[in-house]
Amino acid sequence: MIVTPVFTLNDFLPVMPAAVLVVAAIVLMLSEVFLVSATRTYQAMLATLATVVAGGVAVHNAFEPARAALQGYAVLDPFSSWMTAMVCLGTGLAVLLSSGFLKHRNAERGEFYALMLFAAAGMSLLALSAEFITLFINLEVMSIATYALTAFLRRGPRPSEAGFKYFILGAFSAALLLYGAALLYGATGATKLIEVSAALPAAFIASPGLVYAGLGLVLAGFAFKVAAVPFHMWTPDVYEGAPTPVTALMSAGVKAAAFIALVRTSLFLVKGIPPEMPFYLFSGMALLTMIGGNLLALPQRNVKRMLAYSSIAHAGYLLLGVAALFAPQGAATTTDVGVFSATPLMGLVPNVSSGVYKGILFYLLGYTVTSLGAFGTISALERREDETRGNTWDLERFAGLAQRRPGWALAMAAFMLSLGGVPPTVGFLGKLFLFSAAVDAGLLGLAAVGILSSVVGVYFYLRVVVYMFMRPAPADATTPVRHWTTELALITSAVAVVGLGIVPGPITEWFGRLGMIFGH
Amino acid sequence: MNSIFDSRILNLVIFFPLAVAALVAFLPKDEKGQIRAVTFAGMIGSFLTTLWAWMRFETRSPVEFQLEYRLEWLSDVGISYHVGVDGLSVALVLLTGVLGPMVVLSSWNFVAERVKEFHVALLVLQTAMFGAFTSIDTMLFFMFFEAVLVPMYLLIGVWGSEERQKAAVKFFLYTMVGSVLMLLALFAVYFLSAPSGARSFDYSTMYNGMMGGSRELATYLKANPDGNGVGLTPVAFALFKYGPWLFLAFALAFAIKVPMFPLHTWLPDAHVQAPVAGSIVLAGVMLKLGTYGFWRFAVPFFPVAARQYQNFFAALSVIGIVYGALMCLAQRDIKKLIAYSSVSHLGFCMLGIFAFTAEGATGSAYQMLNHGVSTGALFLLFGMLYERRHARLMSDYGGIARVMPVFAAFFLIVTFSSIAVPGTNGFVGEFLVLLGTFKSNLPLAFGVIASTGVILGAAYMLWMVQKVFFGQVTHQENLALKDMDKRELAAALPFIVLIAVMGLRPQPFLDVLNTSTERYIARAKFAAGDGTSDERLVRVNVRQLPRVAVAQAPAPTPMPEGMVRPARPMMLQQLQPVKPALQPGDAKVLP
Repeated sequence: MIVTPVFTLNDFLPVMPAAVLVVAAIVLMLSEVFLVSATRTYQAMLATLATVVAGGVAVHNAFEPARAALQGYAVLDPFSSWMTAMVCLGTGLAVLLSSGFLKHRNAERGEFYALMLFAAAGMSLLALSAEFITLFINLEVMSIATYALTAFLRRGPRPSEAGFKYFILGAFSAALLLYGAALLYGATGATKLIEVSAALPAAFIASPGLVYAGLGLVLAGFAFKVAAVPFHMWTPDVYEGAPTPVTALMSAGVKAAAFIALVRTSLFLVKGIPPEMPFYLFSGMALLTMIGGNLLALPQRNVKRMLAYSSIAHAGYLLLGVAALFAPQGAATTTDVGVFSATPLMGLVPNVSSGVYKGILFYLLGYTVTSLGAFGTISALERREDETRGNTWDLERFAGLAQRRPGWALAMAAFMLSLGGVPPTVGFLGKLFLFSAAVDAGLLGLAAVGILSSVVGVYFYLRVVVYMFMRPAPADATTPVRHWTTELALITSAVAVVGLGIVPGPITEWFGRLGMIFGH
Repeated sequence: MNSIFDSRILNLVIFFPLAVAALVAFLPKDEKGQIRAVTFAGMIGSFLTTLWAWMRFETRSPVEFQLEYRLEWLSDVGISYHVGVDGLSVALVLLTGVLGPMVVLSSWNFVAERVKEFHVALLVLQTAMFGAFTSIDTMLFFMFFEAVLVPMYLLIGVWGSEERQKAAVKFFLYTMVGSVLMLLALFAVYFLSAPSGARSFDYSTMYNGMMGGSRELATYLKANPDGNGVGLTPVAFALFKYGPWLFLAFALAFAIKVPMFPLHTWLPDAHVQAPVAGSIVLAGVMLKLGTYGFWRFAVPFFPVAARQYQNFFAALSVIGIVYGALMCLAQRDIKKLIAYSSVSHLGFCMLGIFAFTAEGATGSAYQMLNHGVSTGALFLLFGMLYERRHARLMSDYGGIARVMPVFAAFFLIVTFSSIAVPGTNGFVGEFLVLLGTFKSNLPLAFGVIASTGVILGAAYMLWMVQKVFFGQVTHQENLALKDMDKRELAAALPFIVLIAVMGLRPQPFLDVLNTSTERYIARAKFAAGDGTSDERLVRVNVRQLPRVAVAQAPAPTPMPEGMVRPARPMMLQQLQPVKPALQPGDAKVLP
């Protein structure tokens, strides 16, 4: 018997932001067909407007109670809605950055913005998917748009190399995810997360190997997307080769969306399996990613590459938060401080999940504005004539920036301090929330490693500041060209980085509410 | 008794210079005279605000942090805008305020380029230093502590001498390394001192949270010195295991700032390259941020570890005293000589802090003020000479007393203060420190060796004075030097007055300092397991934030008998019933 599904308008609420983005993207593509004049700034404006509208809808959604929608294929919960709002913020800023960047290279086309909006729609949908096929399709919507964006500037070998690398590895990781989902389907007979979760304990007893394999593959697929060590190899090359505004979007949006999906999926999929397994997995990954990202960034003189490695390190801090969600409780805790053990500071381990969700969301918000700003400054400093020489992003480019463009230098200093986690910036608060949650969960050793590795990070972030303010400008240095959309994006991110650091205002309260994730 | 202004004075003190800086920033760039005049007037105004704070400070009040103001800020993570002063900090605030106007006078003609930026930097620097000395919230302190670096870096790097860039970067990086480590230790203390939900970066939460653990650990270590810490409560156990490391992280940050031997190498470079104004502020106030940090944070947070490392730090201080003095004897560059003399003088401050005796601590606190006055004056006076001749070597001068008799007289008085001649302020401080060292549990040798520093000090200073001021005029160009003009007299006279007043009537200053000395010593003793066992006497009592007080704060401890905690008006309690005024004498009568 076929049951005709009954949808109400309420069911479509979660996908509204994505719908707005997709419609705007289609309009942009059509506008390219009927374009007569060569001025395309209005396209950037239109795209920005779409992100603003979509973001507004997402913020509205964020205050709805968490519930399943579209027959359990998607969910509407604050976690995914806030994520969508952040994606819209990030995409809007990236679009503004792109306008000047592309114009400078005679490459401004409507399809670029359309691709960005498609990618944003994919991210938004990925964050709210609650079923494996939906998850996979949305992952691909997001990924295919970013593959194309990576190779958008078809000048020289680098963009195509980066695009191809990203495509191969991305397709590989998506395949892993799909294969894992198939194995889990085989074990449980369901694809909806909530049904998989219910059937998992029995399936684990029947065939533990199958469940482990399925879980491992699904997590590996996500680990690729969030660039967790040891699945991070693609990041530096792809980040370096992609047009800088696209890199900004990838570092903020793609990673954030994958993270949200990772958290949601793993919360559902740990039922029935030994509780220490996910903890060991996530804490091990967090450890490697925090240390690896920071150590690899250390020797980089290429600022764009340094930021790519640093984005790996930041994924590590987020994984630390995820590990805190799965920290051992009760009798499983110890009194010795270790990297893979939970040592409650005072008696029992409290329930840290709302602290972790708040930490993850605030960290992602902070990282979105900071990394958009940092990559934005880099993109504004790029010169076309350097592209063939391969030293476009050398530290030397920043030497004496304080004399040439004091405003940019100040903004970049704020971004660097925020990435390093120095007060009073948003990066500091984000780290504080995450590390607090980890310490509350008893992960003293892991939190200590995190704090120490972020000190290593302060070194390479401050090196950029030192170059900007303390080195004289090289003789051939030119004053970078200004473009109002770029500067608008830089100002917005700088104000957000410092403002949210001083007045995190009602946002932390919103992020800290209960019932953030559907079903948890 | 308590006026509505009391809780706002410190806000005025901190932000008045910043407001003047904003005003100066709007003045036209070429109006150099106007910029200087407005800055000078602003500094005088800022000095008056600090004087007001000093007058409102009550030495006989049982309240530790007076003129307190607390505003909710970042409640999620337990950071609040919380300022207040105790005896030491109000004195250092006054010192900062006094030096302000002289700094502007000292560079009236000296700085001719980028005048506006220079004065804005000076004013911002004042704000940052006031903020650092008055913060009760450690994160606020950290931010101000870091904020000091930026204008100072600019002062050295932009308006300094030939090698200014190198010196500025060296200064910046040294201090930065220390402060990053301190931030780490701050996090650790933050997590250690309170359970989840009640965590706060406030000084009171941090200190009160670890106080019991320190005491417990000290008692435990006394009973079994080689124990492995089994059976301790979590806080005490954590202090047992990581306390020394955390203490060293704090200590390193502040020792760089002081600077203690062997971390002093940035100081001579910075001083030599800095413009006069930079040198005065650097020596006069900024170095005290280091000693103040030991006094306020490093030692009270980790009293047990501080005891364990007492000999080590005392030894470094003594080495610093003697080494600084010996280095002075070898210098030919006058500015470098004064810089090394700072290393020596601040060795006395650190020795007093680590003697853990009342005399030592008082002497150390007094020495901080003295050093600010006398070394500030030395840099100011030498700056006048440098402005005339642009030479720093002693061999460039000689017989200056014949050409500039008034100047020579001023310089000699300041020299006497610097070498601690009885009757000057330097004598009181160094005498108290040495007395405290001899009375302490430190080996006798420490006191004896430190005393030689006094003699060496006299040697190098008088030797320098003799070479520069007496004898024949050896250089033709020195013959035409003009004596001090009115502006220079106005800049130098207050120092002479301060030297005399602080040397002959130290009691009013010591009274103020004693209020914090007593607490410092009581806290050190409490944690060492001797002295009082009543933890209410050493607990830090501050104003609670309204919401936190209801939701999370532990039950308020009753004040000890015979002490009154006067209710002071704050933003939420403006309508208070009028109470009969309390006299300091009748503190036992509860209202």
